[in-house]
Amino acid sequence: MTAKLTAKNVSINFKERKLFEFDNLSFCEGDVIYLQGDNGSGKSTLMKLIAGIIKPNSGDVIATGFAPKKWWQSNSLLGKAVYLHQHAYLFDGSVEYNLRYALPKTRFSPQELQARVAQAIESAQLGSLLKSDATDLSGGERQRLAIARAWITQPKLLMLDEPISNMDKQSQKLVLAMINILKQEGTGLLISSHQTCGLTALCQKHWHISEQKVVESSHIPSFEQSQEFHYVSAN
Amino acid sequence: MNEGWLALMQQAFSLLLSLDPDVWSIISVSFSVSFAALIITLIPSIVLGFFLASYQFPGRWFVTNIVQTLQSIPTVVIGLLAYLLLTRNGPLGDLRWLFTQEGMILGQMMICAPVLIALSQAAFSSIDKRAYETSRTLGASWQRAIWTVCRELRVPLLLAVIAAFSRILTEVGCSMMVGGNILHHTRNIPTAIALETSKGDFAQAIALGLVLLILAIVINFAIGSLRGKAMPRSQ
Repeated sequence: MTAKLTAKNVSINFKERKLFEFDNLSFCEGDVIYLQGDNGSGKSTLMKLIAGIIKPNSGDVIATGFAPKKWWQSNSLLGKAVYLHQHAYLFDGSVEYNLRYALPKTRFSPQELQARVAQAIESAQLGSLLKSDATDLSGGERQRLAIARAWITQPKLLMLDEPISNMDKQSQKLVLAMINILKQEGTGLLISSHQTCGLTALCQKHWHISEQKVVESSHIPSFEQSQEFHYVSAN
Repeated sequence: MNEGWLALMQQAFSLLLSLDPDVWSIISVSFSVSFAALIITLIPSIVLGFFLASYQFPGRWFVTNIVQTLQSIPTVVIGLLAYLLLTRNGPLGDLRWLFTQEGMILGQMMICAPVLIALSQAAFSSIDKRAYETSRTLGASWQRAIWTVCRELRVPLLLAVIAAFSRILTEVGCSMMVGGNILHHTRNIPTAIALETSKGDFAQAIALGLVLLILAIVINFAIGSLRGKAMPRSQ
């Protein structure tokens, strides 16, 4: 059964101000969705809502197609989809510690785990930094490590919040390649950006937050149309 | 005068190195009582500190201020309170803990808990929320995510533990009132130093003082070493 997160009749307020509302949005395995919106429109909030990090003021988010939880585990949305912050959080420790943090030990044999770690290191080109302190990495290296760490878990759904903002071209290329692999593996991807870029060209669906509404369409704004924009970091 | 000091120091070292039973009994009572008080208080206090730092509820401000006030109450006043609780006509009189190590442990728990709660609350208030969110969305259980947060905060949490332990190991007032300073039973290092000094037996007082001094040096070097490793994070 395909893993799917469905948000229905959702409304989100920030203090007294309404941020956005929508009737129905679904994010499932195989989807590659471009989430667009201006700074402050609520892109990160929408992702955190779907990831289960925050709760809506009204409405529900329902998960289907995931492995049932054990009786002692809370049936939280958290952990169904991996959410990568715009500024990725790396745990205190080495690059290797961060990579191995979320290894799904029960799903793979030790050999498979080793191979997956090796592949992640190679894709993110972090081989020479394995023993380095993760907090010493540059912005691009941090983001590559965060994506590699998420990739290792073989997520069914992955949300990337402005994944290539503040990156040099080489890092952008590496991240693009890693995300392409995830797409080929069938991982559902939700990629936010306040403007189009090379990454959004991979997308098949488009969610646009505008005037406090989230509008879904299959039309993706082309990368070329937006060349006049300068790519800047959104906070 | 100098010769007198020298002789006292020689006697003090000889008491320690010759494993004088009275001196080592006092040291043993001191450490066993304080360790017991610390271990019993540790987990509930840290959980309460986490709760106060993480959740908004009516009266949170009041509870926080009460805890902080309790930190600064003189130990002799806490000793008086513990005495009133444990005296035969007191609410806990049936336990018959007055002038026992159990009574001293209870009194030291009352001193230790506010320090641990307040300092762990301060530590948890400083955590980057992304640590918990990242851990959970990568699939960690809430227990593992909290463990990860504690690991990220290990330096301030360890400092809280050391501060609480130092306070109870060196307090005189409560131990004197609740324990009664009975040799081989409830006489600990601070009460013994007070007694021996009043008797004019400076050698034993210096020997016991040296134990506290050595402990203070070890603790401060440990703190210094931890502080040296804990670098501020830019993200």
